[in-house]
Amino acid sequence: MIRFEKVHKRLGGRVVLDGVDLQIEPGETFFIVGASGAGKSVTLKHMVRLLTPDAGRVWVGDDCVSTARGHKLEQIRSRFGVLFQGAALLNWISAGENVGLPLLERTNKPEHEIEKLAREKLALVGLAEAYDKMPAELSGGMRKRVGLARAIITAPEIVLYDEPTSGLDPVTSRAIDQLIDSLRRELGITSVVVTHDLHSALAIATRIAMLDEGRVVALGTPEQFIKSPNEKVQQFLESQYITKRGAWEKAAAL
Amino acid sequence: MNAWARVGREVLLALRNTGRALVMLGEAIVNIRHVFSRQNRYETIHQMFVSGIKSLGVITVVALFTGMILALQTGLELRRFGQEVNIGTAVTVVLLREMGPFMTGLIIAASVGSAIAAQMGTMVVAEEIAALEIMSINPVRFLVMPRLVALALIMPFLTMYTNAVGILGGAIVGYTQLGVSFTAYFDNCTRFAENKDLFVGLFKAIIFGVIVVTVACHQGFATTEGAVGVGRSTRRTVIIAFLTILTMGYFITRMFYK
Repeated sequence: MIRFEKVHKRLGGRVVLDGVDLQIEPGETFFIVGASGAGKSVTLKHMVRLLTPDAGRVWVGDDCVSTARGHKLEQIRSRFGVLFQGAALLNWISAGENVGLPLLERTNKPEHEIEKLAREKLALVGLAEAYDKMPAELSGGMRKRVGLARAIITAPEIVLYDEPTSGLDPVTSRAIDQLIDSLRRELGITSVVVTHDLHSALAIATRIAMLDEGRVVALGTPEQFIKSPNEKVQQFLESQYITKRGAWEKAAAL
Repeated sequence: MNAWARVGREVLLALRNTGRALVMLGEAIVNIRHVFSRQNRYETIHQMFVSGIKSLGVITVVALFTGMILALQTGLELRRFGQEVNIGTAVTVVLLREMGPFMTGLIIAASVGSAIAAQMGTMVVAEEIAALEIMSINPVRFLVMPRLVALALIMPFLTMYTNAVGILGGAIVGYTQLGVSFTAYFDNCTRFAENKDLFVGLFKAIIFGVIVVTVACHQGFATTEGAVGVGRSTRRTVIIAFLTILTMGYFITRMFYK
């Protein structure tokens, strides 16, 4: 569904992606993990052409997003929903209006129908009562859930998540994990998640890729990932107090 | 890099930024056809309120004292020749032609322009602009165009208000400091001022409004490096808008008064 072919990217004179090859299949919950500056968010931004590769190409289905322009690019982007790290809600309109914004701007649906759909999506993420609240009145976790409701209101095929659990308490983080997982199971949405949080990755990922210095150093199912002999992977697991046995048992329990 | 190379680089950078700002302005003008769409209609009215009504306080004070200073300075000189009754003409012509649109432009650049730049910059940093792009919502149509229409529409009214308050300030000084009656002052105001003075001033006001929005949105969208970058964009907006208003004011005057 999404394919990276030898993608290179330099930002500020530094190599951020160094020949990344990736293939994400439909219906996957694909996690990209790695240390800060490893190129995770840059990888995500290439999928929707917020960044363009210096070399190599990114494909979404049969369309090359790296060279698409104008209407074609809009068409490709309409297949995506994105949950940004800080949720990226517009602060001068209510949570409900934020959720309904893509429909208000891109469709001719009447306003009462858009409001009904926005309320449904807010209920889906457990915030049925938040329609009239302003973003400033919401906690970090609530803002992310509103951002998720906005990302899925256009029924996208693919949802991208940039650090969905960063800055959240463990209970809210697990609630977000369950939401991402339920979107795959119930709606068949393909998810690509960028995170530091290996607990989330091991719990709900179908596959995990680890980036280090702009390269994919490990790729596989959670079980293959945790058993990877790669030194960087093991360091990353240990940094989050995850042992091979303990983590997998916890992940399997979820 | 030697000094000449550095100057050349800065000039090229300035030209590139000017080009980008003009392309953005062109795109906003093309998108004016969407001004009556659901979201834009509300946003345009809201921006007219924010930039117009909320600026009235500071405009009143600046306009009143500008008129008072103009009347006092010209009146004291004219009194030496026994012509202080003519301060009405001096204050009115100077305000209509130059000071009205100029002062309004500077106030709007400092208050509204800086606020727009800070808002756009913060939206860039918070990835809200990226979110709009992903939702296939054109940020120029959604954010720039309503502000452009709002300021282009509200600036002539603000300028007329500045002119009126300034002329009133001149009348107060004329009456209290120079012994010119209100009747004589206002008779004098209309004697030499022409419609052309008013219309050229209002034309300038529209251009100044367009300059403020273009500079503020362009600087805001070009924000990098977080909160520090937002501060830098805001400062640059005020400086660039001030200088552009000043230079464009001269060229428009040159165009109509040869």
